[in-house]
Amino acid sequence: MRRLALSVALTLPLFAAPAKEHTFAQAQSFLKSYCVSCHQGAKPSAGFNAAKLNTLQTMMEDPRKWSRMLTRVRDNEMPPKGAPAPSLDKREAFVSYVEDTMKSAACADGISPRPALLRRLNRTEYTATMRDLLNIHINAGRGLPADGAGGEGFDNAAETLFLSPMHAEKYLEAAREALAYGAKDPKSRARFLIAEPNDKTTVDQAARKVLEAFLPRAFRRPARPDELERYVTLFANAYKKNQSYEVSILHALQGVLISPHFLFRVEEPNPGAAPRLLDGFALASRLSYFLWGTMPDEDLTKVAATGKLNDDKILAEQTIRLLKDPRTRDFAEQFVEQWLNTRELGRDIKPDPKLFPAYYDAEIQSGIRYEPILFFQELLTANLSLLNLIDSKFTIMSNKLAKHYGIKPAKPLRQQPVVVELPEGSHRGGVLGMAAVLAVSSYPNRTSPVLRGKWILDAMLGTPAPPPPAGVPPLEDKVGTAPQTLRERLERHRLNPACGVCHNRIDPLGFGLENYDVLGLWRTEDGGKAIDSKGVLPDGATFDGPDEMKKILLEKKDLLVRNLTVKLLGYSLGRGLTLEDHCSVDRIVDAVKKENYSAHTLILEIVRSVPFRYQVGTAPNIPAVPPVAKAE
Amino acid sequence: MGRYSLNRRTLLRGAGAAIGLPWLEAMAAPAGGSKPPVRMAALYMPNGVHPDMWTPEGDKRDFKLSPTLSPLADLQDQLMVLTNLWNPGSVGGDGHYVKISGWLTCTTVTKTLGVDVSCNGVSMDQLAVQKTGRQTPIASMELGIAPVTTGVDKNVGYTRVYGSHISWASPTSPLARELNPQLAFERLFRAGNGQADGAKEEALLLDRVLTDAKELRQKLGGADRQRLDEYLSVVRSLEDRLERAASPEQSKWKPRVALDPAAKPTGNPKDYAEHVRLMFDIIALAFQSDSTRVATFLFGNEVSNQNFAFVDGVTGAHHSLSHHENKPDNMRQYQLINKWHIEQYGYLLRKLRDMKEGDSNVLDNSMILLGAGIRDGNKHDPHNLPVVLAGKAGGRLASGQHLSYEKDTPLSNLYVSMLDAFGAPVERFADSTGRLPGVLASS
Repeated sequence: MRRLALSVALTLPLFAAPAKEHTFAQAQSFLKSYCVSCHQGAKPSAGFNAAKLNTLQTMMEDPRKWSRMLTRVRDNEMPPKGAPAPSLDKREAFVSYVEDTMKSAACADGISPRPALLRRLNRTEYTATMRDLLNIHINAGRGLPADGAGGEGFDNAAETLFLSPMHAEKYLEAAREALAYGAKDPKSRARFLIAEPNDKTTVDQAARKVLEAFLPRAFRRPARPDELERYVTLFANAYKKNQSYEVSILHALQGVLISPHFLFRVEEPNPGAAPRLLDGFALASRLSYFLWGTMPDEDLTKVAATGKLNDDKILAEQTIRLLKDPRTRDFAEQFVEQWLNTRELGRDIKPDPKLFPAYYDAEIQSGIRYEPILFFQELLTANLSLLNLIDSKFTIMSNKLAKHYGIKPAKPLRQQPVVVELPEGSHRGGVLGMAAVLAVSSYPNRTSPVLRGKWILDAMLGTPAPPPPAGVPPLEDKVGTAPQTLRERLERHRLNPACGVCHNRIDPLGFGLENYDVLGLWRTEDGGKAIDSKGVLPDGATFDGPDEMKKILLEKKDLLVRNLTVKLLGYSLGRGLTLEDHCSVDRIVDAVKKENYSAHTLILEIVRSVPFRYQVGTAPNIPAVPPVAKAE
Repeated sequence: MGRYSLNRRTLLRGAGAAIGLPWLEAMAAPAGGSKPPVRMAALYMPNGVHPDMWTPEGDKRDFKLSPTLSPLADLQDQLMVLTNLWNPGSVGGDGHYVKISGWLTCTTVTKTLGVDVSCNGVSMDQLAVQKTGRQTPIASMELGIAPVTTGVDKNVGYTRVYGSHISWASPTSPLARELNPQLAFERLFRAGNGQADGAKEEALLLDRVLTDAKELRQKLGGADRQRLDEYLSVVRSLEDRLERAASPEQSKWKPRVALDPAAKPTGNPKDYAEHVRLMFDIIALAFQSDSTRVATFLFGNEVSNQNFAFVDGVTGAHHSLSHHENKPDNMRQYQLINKWHIEQYGYLLRKLRDMKEGDSNVLDNSMILLGAGIRDGNKHDPHNLPVVLAGKAGGRLASGQHLSYEKDTPLSNLYVSMLDAFGAPVERFADSTGRLPGVLASS
């Protein structure tokens, strides 16, 4: 079978009807019932002939056509408004059958890596790298524009790291300012201005010494002699003009900091046809940008230089070392805030200052923001179970946040957040008890069961509901007597089958969190009415309140772990996952389950995976069965 | 036609290649005193408008502003309100992302979470820049308030990059926006006073890294080359500017009005309303000084849930109120939010009007477009879009009218007319079917 380079977002339906045996014949009958009448003949609609997708073989030979069709069916775009449409159950059974079949075919061939795109450092990576390279403690990237997200939803995805003319100006200025700042600070100078001309050292020798040390650190690999010479020349030309060592060396360094070898993560291309292991320096960079969001440190670079980083044992040792380092804070912050969407809190989503003044207390605000970040970091460094994300016996709080939650910790707390054991009946534990999550899935002035339910399906479980079908009347366009409560209104809304199919999944989960107000405070009534946080899920499971709902979610733990794996693998690779990558995801998820959902196992398995460690060949004729097939 | 007839740029030499235009000396405007240049800005409102409160009563020169447009009463002779325009490229897809990203391109963006982002066109503002060549230190300014929204929208299958950009220099180059008024001011200031910064030395540096980049490019495959081409293009463009700044005798450009460094705004506005006004001050200064002639601005990213409780009578957030469900109270609040946007628009227009240029003013010599990608936020409907154009483009626009067209007249026809008025005439733009009658002053 040909290599599948499809970017397919696999989404298994949650709480849908139990998966029935689905056969190719059934898939055929689906196509015939809903697609073929328009998509056939000499001039099929949109140039897409569904009648030709009539054998299992076509799925293997022309996965792109199948995938294109699949996306439109899954997203409710086809069949179009007015045409006979399948039920949601039928639709999802069809979609998961086709996805599974295509994935099995792809996985049977063994896993081969996808090309890693040339990727510029995003704004946060740039800032952190400048910090470590120059040992400065200013935000060097503060003037750069924010980066958009692609792939699995992260702003480190190569595909959406665009460059605008503004970037060139900003990089040049940022480099100038950072160097000028660093040159004034003795600690910083010691890091990068390691030589000065004196009685024993000529100007040329000093400049060489500085550049010899600086270039490999900036480029994250050894510098070639001709590269070094170029920057020495840049220095020499400047020196000829201004006769100042300091001005000229900073000038040459500024040149290094706007070079594409610094601004981009360049991996030496693999000229062969077969995939190969990455070289040590490229792997070191992947590892440190994954777990630290910055350049490799001296230790990691030393290991890379020995050529042994790809040794399983050494790679594992380095990975664990990185995980235990405080620099995982940057990783946790970048990953968690984008995964859980809490980055939007304080940006697009701001609790109303009049209704929720507590949010505008600086300590509470930062406590709210950092709780999920520090919690995730704790899972990583202490190698705890990932199931803590659903429910946990601890969280991370400062004194004011604990007071905000109404928790009396055993030991008095301070301003610095620390791990706190949760007392019995605290209604906290897991991300669903965290104010950041509860606020970001609310409106500024009130909670929304729909937004919260959607948040759980999308961010936590990775099973977003499809968009509303075309032509659905807006909510309550024609309501007779106005119902009283939000719950009554939403129940009425769900009576419409076109709305109910998805809202039966969304709304109950959101109602399960109604005991939390916009800022996550526990409440038993709202506007004088008692809170009703009961819910019935489409599979019949019932719960009363968040504590019981979390028990049900714990039964769905594999969805969370799969979703987290997809997100983390996508983040680590800086791109969206393809169908083939999902073969790696399957293996990683299996390993994590075997190791009791250990956080370290998840990270180690990602780092060991084919897409992370291998590099695709650039020559044509990629063999059908790549030699790395057995590597995992 | 005079200096507007130059039309020799080959556009779109491939993705990314057209971003950084060389400075066209022959086309640079002569220094102050001569006929003022035409400037153009496009301002985008997210989440549509209250459909029944937008359209003015009456037609042509005899019209009464609607409740939503009423804050512009004193500017009526500068306005052109356009009714029944639509953007057919943005009909399909989802309710928001396709609408905003195609607003100035009149194309349908590729549905993607990121891997093949394309607007399948060029935005009207960037086409204006590319057609006229670069005449000012800053080719164009892209401004906004909110950073690009986090993440991708798996619910509908689009990267939120689409919801945060309206300016596209090429199908694959959405232009980043400056959000910080202080940094935007500093950029203007530096661009106009480049010599002070050791521009010559820095131009040499850029030359050096261009060599690195070209060498690296040789080793890379297709998609990566394209990425490096983007890099080469933006670096070259800056190099060109610095070289000219370093030798003023070569550059014919002079600021029409010098920027006062003391006018530098705060980098940390106290609230949303102040932030919007500071960004409008930047547009006004940029146009007055002639640092750039093209600007775009986003009041918010599409689907913005900005809390508008600071407006009297409003208690909620923008996007949720735009889904008003036909409830009177929601619709009332939605309209107040729309009206607030128009008040800010009025602030910019008055500011430009108060900037004298010979016997006219900057507004007389500008065209400031304001609109949205949908009409009723409750319906995500790209028919009969809210569109208003202000300013006279140096007398080229027949301002002071409400022009009502046949139902479903392409929005792109307006852009063809605007490009004419800007001095960047095109025969067609995207799906245009001709010029929009009545927009240009008859000559």
